[in-house]
Amino acid sequence: MNRVPGKPIFLLILIALLALSGCQPKSGTTPALGSSSIVIVIPEDPPSFNPIVTDTGYDALVMELVMLGLSDVDANGNVFPELAAELPTVENGGVVLDEDAGTMAVTWKMREDVQWADGTPVTADDVIFTYESIVDPELGGWIPGIDYIESVEKIDDYSLTVNYASIYTGYLTQFGGEQVVIWPTHYCDASQGFAAWDCARQPLSNGPFVLSEWVNGDHMTFTKNEKFFEEGKPAIDKITVRIIPDTSVRKTMLLNGDADLDMWTTEPMIAELEGQPNVLVSQSPENRWVMRIFFNLAAKGTTDSVATPHPILSDLRVRQAIRAAIDVDTISKEFFLGYAKPAWTEFFREPYVCNIPRPEFDPEKAAALLDEAGWKDTDGDGVRECRGCATAEEGYVMEMDFNTYSEFGEPLELTQQYIAEQLGKLGIKLNLKVVEGSILWAASTDGGIEQSGNFDMDIWDDGYAGVDPTDFLYQYYAVASAEPDFGYNFMRWSNDEFETLLEGVYTLDETQRKQDFCKMAAILEEELPILPLFTAVNADAHSARLQNVQSSANDLVTWNSADWTLK
Amino acid sequence: MTTYILRRLIQTAGLLFFLSILLFALVNLAPGGPLSGQGQSRHIDPDKVELLKRQFGLDKPLPTQYLIWLVGNDWMQVDKDGDGVMDGNGTRLGILRGDFGFSFRTRQPVLTEIGQRLPNTIYLTAITILVAVLVAIPIGIISAIRQYSVFDISVTTFSFAGQAIPEFWLGLILILVFYAWLKNPFTGGPLLPSGGMTSIDISGFDLGDRIVHLILPVLTGALGWIAWYSRFLRSSMLDVIHQDYIRTARAKGLSNWNVLTRHGLRNALIPLVTLLALDLPYLFGGAIFVETLFAWPGMARLYYQAALERDYPVLMAVLIIGAASIILSNLLADLLYAYLDPRIRYE
Repeated sequence: MNRVPGKPIFLLILIALLALSGCQPKSGTTPALGSSSIVIVIPEDPPSFNPIVTDTGYDALVMELVMLGLSDVDANGNVFPELAAELPTVENGGVVLDEDAGTMAVTWKMREDVQWADGTPVTADDVIFTYESIVDPELGGWIPGIDYIESVEKIDDYSLTVNYASIYTGYLTQFGGEQVVIWPTHYCDASQGFAAWDCARQPLSNGPFVLSEWVNGDHMTFTKNEKFFEEGKPAIDKITVRIIPDTSVRKTMLLNGDADLDMWTTEPMIAELEGQPNVLVSQSPENRWVMRIFFNLAAKGTTDSVATPHPILSDLRVRQAIRAAIDVDTISKEFFLGYAKPAWTEFFREPYVCNIPRPEFDPEKAAALLDEAGWKDTDGDGVRECRGCATAEEGYVMEMDFNTYSEFGEPLELTQQYIAEQLGKLGIKLNLKVVEGSILWAASTDGGIEQSGNFDMDIWDDGYAGVDPTDFLYQYYAVASAEPDFGYNFMRWSNDEFETLLEGVYTLDETQRKQDFCKMAAILEEELPILPLFTAVNADAHSARLQNVQSSANDLVTWNSADWTLK
Repeated sequence: MTTYILRRLIQTAGLLFFLSILLFALVNLAPGGPLSGQGQSRHIDPDKVELLKRQFGLDKPLPTQYLIWLVGNDWMQVDKDGDGVMDGNGTRLGILRGDFGFSFRTRQPVLTEIGQRLPNTIYLTAITILVAVLVAIPIGIISAIRQYSVFDISVTTFSFAGQAIPEFWLGLILILVFYAWLKNPFTGGPLLPSGGMTSIDISGFDLGDRIVHLILPVLTGALGWIAWYSRFLRSSMLDVIHQDYIRTARAKGLSNWNVLTRHGLRNALIPLVTLLALDLPYLFGGAIFVETLFAWPGMARLYYQAALERDYPVLMAVLIIGAASIILSNLLADLLYAYLDPRIRYE
């Protein structure tokens, strides 16, 4: 009875573990003979296969495995046909413009050799069905451009015409691209509605893979679609998508060979995987997400920059000084581990690259600008006050809130702190806040910080998908977008020349568009309502044996899953 | 006793009703909303917002939303397509008739979502608590009868450490050791899996596979419980073995084993049993760290995601079920205590 039951129990446990390990079936690292199988790891369960409804990114990831749109976008921003036989253009007569009326008609000719997995051909009926389901006012959804469409007419089984009531420059990806695919009319239940139909969770495939199993919260299994229209593709027989919420575990699985693809790999993980022989990181050729500082040009708590201009930020010299005091190179090197690239204008992506000279990091010039603007530190406390400034009362302290969102992670928080430090040296005191994205971006009626104007400066990342920045520019810079909950112009900025140019770029004349965009770039450079700083990387880590993975800023990494092969 | 139970049940219903109003208000009034676009686009297009508000029922004032959540809207006219004209009755029945609405995230009925996750959580948490109790009871007994011995002191230290060690850290260390470092001598693969409930390529029920997947999550989760229960049992046991009736039993000549188990342990276990009853809600709530680390598709992860994305119907359902389980487990604990200890009686 005086025996301490330590050692024997420990030995027993060890023996039991060893015995059980013999029971463990071979893990998935060695695929069965004759079939090739890969594992994708993601942190969250996709809510459905319909990204238009939820847009989490995981929905688009799995959608790209099973379904096709009329067209899609590659990693370089080029649109290519998927279900379409060719892309409609003005030259080939697919696009007919009526300049006087300001309308256009786009005729799509579809491939005739694509089938759904149950053998039914994919036809124009499916496209029209998709359109009608989206525009249903009760159970539908919304995609860019849908409001410009007046009607969609069927010409024959494999052609249709989309009639636009105005010139819509994004017509090539109207029924394709990152979020939109064509849904089967004979399989989806229209009465359930586009927003909630069961076929978004049990999809009928016309893409490279077919969903064969979905254990909610755990994994999804996809098998090769034998009826896929591309000969010899896909090369992979089975894809398992596993839900692994923790980043460290996903990384360990990649290193161990238990995972073949990780989505949206972050900079710290990329740095850790560098030099590992069995893991590669695919980076997108061009970046989309631009980290930027938003200035509230209206006084904090208000939304009218004309009636109540911001006491500090409404002075352009202050904005210029802030820009000159931020060292983007150091931020990129220290916090983004060298993977961030400086970006100082919205127009740095093909085909609209405008020649805006890179702003210099010059803290002395910044200080001189602030002095000139009438912000001086006369009481020696390190913070400037208004001494003869144009926008605030005498003695107004140069102190502001500086917000960011928490979900990005440490690199962004460190960047925020570093910028606050640099501006602190300049004499601007910043009070840092990190909030949930949900609170930052919520509607003004839900207490959303930006929509209600309850901020001074924010920093976070955004960028447009694909090649067409038109809608993005409208949402961020148009006057109409400054009204709370009607857009994202929470800078409450307006410029008449920019407005006119913005109306003008809704044209298919590419030469004019390029010119107009560069004029807009010059205006934004002059007025600085937003400070673009740098682009964050868009990367996906994958095992060395998985080939042809190409990370894309325009789509999820599964956009070309039909082309993947195993070494 | 029956009147007591009846009275408690009526109190429960009243309390739940009051709680439902409070929770509904808190969940909706917290800043942020389901329309702030958690998705990769950082924001939802303004044109989409009106449509979503209508589909989610968020275009109505809060009291109306609460009423619809409670009793449904199939008795009132609704404007389904936003054109200002009423289109007939709604389709929701309300929670009083078992309709918890649909998730904003997946558009599936909330009960379906919960039904997919709840069994997994009950499965893991029940086994964790069972393992914890089976380990804690002998430890607690031995610590009590060998008070201040080496065993007792080392176990006390271990239990303080166990309660202090962050689950998250422990889990990661276990994964590192048993999945990344140690290899299975027979197959060459990792010794234990990194997570999940089963191996992907197994179909049907495989006991060995299930056990192997349970080892690390249960180890991580049980440590805190073992520490807690063993301490509790130790002090409860210490109380009991110094009682007069124990001395009487020994004096009667009963064997040490008989005294300790039939007379000592049985009484010492009573408070532990009621403590277990109070811990029952964990069966429904799950443990967020364990579920996240070991990719266990359970309730805690569902709740966490719903909270981040402001998925109000799922949030409200999980909160109400959680509240009900806490209130009812309290009632169960009280009843069990009365059943096991004849000195306690309610009127």
